[in-house]
Amino acid sequence: MIIHADMDAFYASVEIRDRPELADKPVAVGGSVEGRGVISAANYVARRYGVHSALPTVTAKRLCPDLILLPGRMGFYAEISQHIRRIFERFTPLIEPLSLDEAFLDVTHSEKLFGPAQNIGQQIKHAVKAELDLVVSVGIAPNKFIAKIASDIDKPDGFVFVSQDQIQAFLDPLPVKRIWGVGKTTEKQLQQLGIHSVRDLRLQAKENLLQRFGEHGAHLWELAHGIDHRPVVSEYDAKSISHEITFPKNITDRDILLSVLLQLTEQVGTRLRQQEYAGRTVHLKIRYADFTTLTRSHTMDHASHVTSELWQTVKTLFTSKLPAKLPPVRLLGMGVSGFDRQDSEYALQQDLFVPDGLKAKQKAKQIDKVSDAVKERFGAKALRRGRVVK
Amino acid sequence: MKFSIDRDALVKPLQHIVGVVERRQTLPVLSNVLLVCENDRLILTTTDTEIEMVAQTDIDSVETGKITVPAKKFYDICRALPEHAQIEFALDTELQKATIRSGKSRFNLTTLPADDFPNLQDIKPDFSFTMQQNQFKNLLDKTQFAMAQQDVRFYLNGLLLEVSDGKVCTVATDGHRLAYSESDQDIHPEKVLQVILPRKGVTELAKVLEDSQESLSIELSGNHARIVHPNITFTTKLIDGKFPDYKRVIPAEAGHEVTADKLLLKQALSRASILSNEKYRGIRLVIKSGTLQAQAHNPEMEEAEEEIDVEYTGEEIVVGFNVTYLIDAISVIPTENARLVFNDANSSCLILSDSSENDCRYVVMPMRL
Repeated sequence: MIIHADMDAFYASVEIRDRPELADKPVAVGGSVEGRGVISAANYVARRYGVHSALPTVTAKRLCPDLILLPGRMGFYAEISQHIRRIFERFTPLIEPLSLDEAFLDVTHSEKLFGPAQNIGQQIKHAVKAELDLVVSVGIAPNKFIAKIASDIDKPDGFVFVSQDQIQAFLDPLPVKRIWGVGKTTEKQLQQLGIHSVRDLRLQAKENLLQRFGEHGAHLWELAHGIDHRPVVSEYDAKSISHEITFPKNITDRDILLSVLLQLTEQVGTRLRQQEYAGRTVHLKIRYADFTTLTRSHTMDHASHVTSELWQTVKTLFTSKLPAKLPPVRLLGMGVSGFDRQDSEYALQQDLFVPDGLKAKQKAKQIDKVSDAVKERFGAKALRRGRVVK
Repeated sequence: MKFSIDRDALVKPLQHIVGVVERRQTLPVLSNVLLVCENDRLILTTTDTEIEMVAQTDIDSVETGKITVPAKKFYDICRALPEHAQIEFALDTELQKATIRSGKSRFNLTTLPADDFPNLQDIKPDFSFTMQQNQFKNLLDKTQFAMAQQDVRFYLNGLLLEVSDGKVCTVATDGHRLAYSESDQDIHPEKVLQVILPRKGVTELAKVLEDSQESLSIELSGNHARIVHPNITFTTKLIDGKFPDYKRVIPAEAGHEVTADKLLLKQALSRASILSNEKYRGIRLVIKSGTLQAQAHNPEMEEAEEEIDVEYTGEEIVVGFNVTYLIDAISVIPTENARLVFNDANSSCLILSDSSENDCRYVVMPMRL
C-alpha cells in the first residue's frame, strides 16, 4: 500500500502555529506586492476568498483586502520538513518527497511490523500533531495515483483509505480533471466527447482514446481504471548527489582545502551508498573570494560509490586541474553524477598495474561499510579518516 | 593576399590538419586555420595549443600575405567543390573578409588576424632520428587502440614512444590491457628515451601516415615531440608523467599455449559478443584439448555459445575477459594464426603472432565473471 502524506497549508500553518492569534484570520505566506511576489501558501480562511498558492500577491490582496501577508522562512520550513521526514522514516525507508510538504511512502513491507496501512497512516497523523502541532492529510491506496487523490479529497485534516476493491467506486464519480495529466485543454476536449466523470472515461474503448489522444489517451484510460504502476522512488530522479560548503572565512591553505574535500567526498559516498547509487562522473567545484567559480569533472571507466575511489579522482582533479596558486577560496563542493543502478559487481575487470586491485577494492568497500554503520549509530563525527582530523 | 589553387591540392592538406581543431574553443582563433601565402607555396597551420599541424602546398600566388579563416568551414567549402575546380582566394583587407571563388560559387568568410594565432615555441631537439613512414605507421596502428580514453592516471591517456639501442617501440595501455610493438632501427641513443604522446595527437598523426617507404624524421625534446613528414610537420606537447613499467606486466611465453586461426577466432568472438553485457562486455572462454568455447550472456538472459577448433593439449582452462579487448588485439595480429598464452583465471593472457619475429605483443587482464 502507498501513503500520500500532504501537509495542510504547510507554510501558513507553521506561521499560525507560532502566532496563534492569527488562527481565525486570513493568512498567506508569499512575496510582497512591491516585489511582484506570488502566494506560496494560504490558510483555509484565506482560501475561502479564493486565495491560493501561485496567485500573484497583488491579486490576492484584491480578493481579500484583510489578508495578512507574511514573508516566508524557507530555512525554518525545511527544518520542520526534515522532522516530518524522520517521522516517515520510522515506518519505511521508501520515501519519495515531492516537495517540502508532501511525500509518497511505500508501506507494503512495513505492514508486518506496524500493522495495516491505515494504522500507519493514523500513527503518522498523530506523530505530526503531537510532535510538531501541525496537521497532515493522509491518503492510503494501492498506488500513487489514487493515494494522491485520496489525501486531497477530504482536506483539511483528511484521512481517506481506498482498498483495492473500492477503487472503482472511489474514482467513478470524480470529474475527469482530477486525473493527473488532464489539464484545461484535455478536459475541454473530453467534455466535447461527453466525458465528464472518471466513469465516462473508464467506459470508453481504449482504442478510441488511443486514436484521439495518442499514448496520453491510453494512459488516461489506465488511470481511470485505477492502474498506476509507478514505484515509489526515494531521492526521486536524482541525477547527481553533491555536497558543498561555504567557509565562514576564506581559505588559502591547500591542505585544509584537501581535508575538507575528503570530508565532502565521504558525505557524498555515504549518500550514494544509502541510495544504492554508483556514479561515473566526479565533479569538483570551487569558488574564489571574488565569486569566480570553477568546476572540473572527470568520468571514470566504471561507476563507483567507493569513497577511496571517488577521493582519488576528486583529489587528482584538485591537484592537476586547478591553478597551482589558489586565490582565497570561499566555497568548495564535490559531487557525483552519471548514475548507474546496474550492479557494478557484475563483472570485475582486473588491473595490470594494481595486481591486488580487486582485493583492495573489497577492503575499501569494507571500510565504507563499517564507517557508514558507525556513523549511523554514533553520528557523523564518530569516525573520520586520518586526513580530516586536525 | 591573393592566390589561386586546384581544389584537390588544397583539400588534401586541409583534411590532414583539420582534425586538430576542437569543436568548442576557449580562444576564437583556435577554430581557425592560419594561411601563410608565400611566393610559390601556401603554408596551412592548425593548433589546439597542445598540438600543432603544419601542411604546405604549391600555389600560384598573386599577392603574398597571411590571415586566419574558420578551419572547418573553409575545409567543408573546398571539399564540396567539384574535383579539380580552380579556387581563387582573396582577402579584402578593408572589410577583413576572405572571398573564395570557384566557377559560379562565391563565399565570404570571417577572418581573424594572423598575429593572434598562437604558435608553439621552437623546440630544440635533444635527440632526433629517422625511420620509414610505413614502419612508424605500423608502430602506431598496432598499439594506439589500447590507449586509455580519460583515465585519472593521465599518463595512460597517450602512447609511450621508447627509443633504445637499435630499437623503437610503442606501448599503450588503459590499465586493463596493453599493446606493445617494436621495430628494429639503426639508431643508437646514449640512453633509453621515453616520451608519452597525447592520445589526440596520436590519432591525428595516424590518419596522416601512409604505407610508403619515404622516411620521416622524429625529433624529441624534454616536453615536445616533432614528426617531420613529407606533407606535414606535426608537433605535440608531451604528457608529463611516468609511464608504468610495461616490461613487468608482459608475461613470459610460458604457460598454456593455444594456437587458433585468427579469422575464425575473431568471427566467433564477434558473434558471441552480441549477447554479452553491453557495458561490461564479459565473455567466458572454456579451453579444452583441441577446442575453444566462447560463452556470453546478458541481463536479458540471452545466451551465445561458440566453439572453434584450436591447437591445444592440456588441462581445461576457464577464464573471463572483456571480449572487446580480445577482439582488438586479435584484429591486429599480422599472421594467419594467433597464439594465446594463458596461466590461470586470475592471470593475464598474452596474445602473439605466429611468427618468430615477435614484433608485437598484447596483454589482456581477465575479468571475474
